[in-house]
Order: sequence, then structure tokens, then C-alpha cells
Amino acid sequence: MRPSHWLGWWCSLFLFGATFQLSAAPITFNSALPVSKGEGVVRVQAKYLRATDDPGPMSRELTVKALPIVGVWGVTSRWTIFGIVPLLDKTMELDMPSGRSKRSVNGLGDVTTMVRYTAYSKDQPGRTVRIAPFASIEMPTGKDDEQDRFGRLPASLQLGSGAWNPLIGVVATAQSLEKEWAVSASYKFNNEANNFERGDEARLDLSYHRRVWIGGPTDGLPHFFYAGVESNGVWQGKNRNNGQKNPNSGGTTLYLAPTLQYVTQRAITEVALQLPVMQNLNGSALKQDFIFTLSLRLNY
Amino acid sequence: MKKSIFLAAIILFCSTTLFAAGTQYSLRVDGLSCPFCAYGIEKKLIRTEGVESVTVDLEKGLVIVNVQEGVVLTEAQLKQLVEDAGFTPRSMSEQLL
Repeated sequence: MRPSHWLGWWCSLFLFGATFQLSAAPITFNSALPVSKGEGVVRVQAKYLRATDDPGPMSRELTVKALPIVGVWGVTSRWTIFGIVPLLDKTMELDMPSGRSKRSVNGLGDVTTMVRYTAYSKDQPGRTVRIAPFASIEMPTGKDDEQDRFGRLPASLQLGSGAWNPLIGVVATAQSLEKEWAVSASYKFNNEANNFERGDEARLDLSYHRRVWIGGPTDGLPHFFYAGVESNGVWQGKNRNNGQKNPNSGGTTLYLAPTLQYVTQRAITEVALQLPVMQNLNGSALKQDFIFTLSLRLNY
Repeated sequence: MKKSIFLAAIILFCSTTLFAAGTQYSLRVDGLSCPFCAYGIEKKLIRTEGVESVTVDLEKGLVIVNVQEGVVLTEAQLKQLVEDAGFTPRSMSEQLL
């Protein structure tokens, strides 16, 4: 199975979690929590993906490192815009007739811009419930013609897809001082470029976070420490090469992720480890081991 | 009599110059559920001209705004700032410090 059949999906999934999170909220997906009008939040993540369970004869090993930088701006109290700039480093090792070989690439990936609208909010003392639809467009800013000594890299090992890929979704968040629930559903329409079209992607995400410690200054906003669990159900359709569906692509994966968050008024430091508890992939795709995320969000 | 009036004037002057301070506004705000998002309201208010300090009490859903002497914030103005921060203002009271 060629890397293009599954790698693009993982990279897309990998970066999705970098997109929209704001307050003490899910780490691996979106949130409906507010951003003040005229105020901004910056988020920097370090993500590490590893996949080494190869059922095929090539003993493939994939490593993806990413540094997505997310800028968020409150246009009004209900409208929020986002920009995501990903820096990527992808490496795949595999057995080839010439021996063990490595194919790698690094640089700027596809930049995404997103808009979110808070359609419903119900506030009470110390708690809030919000529902917010969102839409984004992934722009072809990453190079899609990278080559190495073996020739042109497969489409999904490229830094960019070369296509404009829109996404729509909705997220609901219920947060109190002690705990938080969130659920999000989204669909991404992947388009064709360079005779390759990645399969569309649908996601259903859930999270539960509970405050386990409170501290910090007595005369100001306290510090919260949360522990949580998140799940990500991801379906991807089959890829198309030159218009033909590839039977060895797409499938369904369910992740579970334990999470930790340390929240202050100016910053959130957090970690998540996404473990694929179910991988029902078409064909003989390389299976994933884990995704590790370390993240810092800053109020400015 | 003149002496008494002069003395009273001195006392009045001292009391206004030494003890006069600003006004404290207490806002009941709903939706404040974590420190990071609550900081948004603090940033909004502290940038308002004449505001000296802002304290947010998450547990009580209370935002205390202290302003300089002579500065007046209207209820409409404060409510708008709270709404711009993405929260719901419930009530407001004020007292001279």
C-alpha cells in the first residue's frame, strides 16, 4: 500500500486538534467557549505521531512532528475567526529493494482559516452552555511537489494537498467551575489536486474534563487543574487516484485520550495522549500507535 | 463664628482630599466558568478609561470594578463591556469608596 492512501488522512486528523480550542476546553477538538470582542488568544502545540504496526512486508515506520500555531480573534462576542499555520516534519522509513530507506519532508503545511458563530448560549452563575457552528477552509499553502532521491513524494507525504478543502461542523460545550462536557461533529470535503483526491472526513468528538485541584492567588483569579478523557471517532472515505477509488484507503478509527490541563488566567498548559482503541481501516493500511500533544495557550 | 466656619472648611477640604476615592461597581455576571475565559472580561474592563482595578470572583460570579474619583461608568456601559466579553450581565450596584 502506498503512503498516499493513509498518510494524508492522518496528517489531516493530526492537525485538526490544533484548530479551535480556546478556554479550558477539549485538547483534541473544538470548543464553543467565548473569545472577547477585540481580544486574542494564541496557541502553540507540539504534536508527535507514531505508526509502526505494518502488516505488509516493507516494515514501514511513520513519524510526523507538527508545530501548529493558532491565532484567534474575537470579532464580536459571537463571531470568532481563527488562523492555523502548521509547520510539519514527516518521515517514513521502509524496506525497499535497495535496503532500508527514509523519505522525509519538512516545512510549512496548508494554512487553515476558520469562522465560528455562537448561535446559542445560556449563562448561569459559574456555568455556561453554548452551541456554535463553524466553517473552515484549508488553503494550498504547503508545497505539493516535493521530491527526494526516489522521485516525487506521494501526494499525502507532501506538505500540502494542493487543494482548497472546506469543512463544516458544530460544537456544543457545557462548562461549570467543576467540570466540562463537549461534543463536536464535523465534515471535511477534500478536493482533487495533482490527480489525487483524499477521501472526505467525518468526525464525532466527545470530551469530559473534571477539575481536580484549585489553587493560585487568593485575591485574583484562581488556578485550575483538570483531568479528563476525550474520544475521537473519525471516518474517512476512499481516496481517488486519477478518478479511481482506491480500495486500500479510508476507514474508521476510534481514539481515546487521557488529558491533563493546568489553567491560569493568562495561560493553559496541557497534554493529551490519543490512543487508537479501534482501527477499522480498508485494505492493509499501516496502523497508528499514538498521537502525543503538548500545548500552550496564551491570552494576550 | 468666623473661626468655626474656617475650621469647618479646613475639615471639609481635608476630608475630600485625603479620603475621597473613586467608586466601586459590583457586577453580577453569569457564564464565568474558568479563569482563562474570565480573564477576557478583566482585560476588557481594565482598558476602560478611569478604571483602576478589576477583581473577578468566579465562585460568586462577581466582578468588582474600582474607578478613579470623578469617573462615572453607566450601567449600560458596563453591561455592554460584559456582553462584548461574551458573558451575561445580571445586575449592578455601586458605592463610593
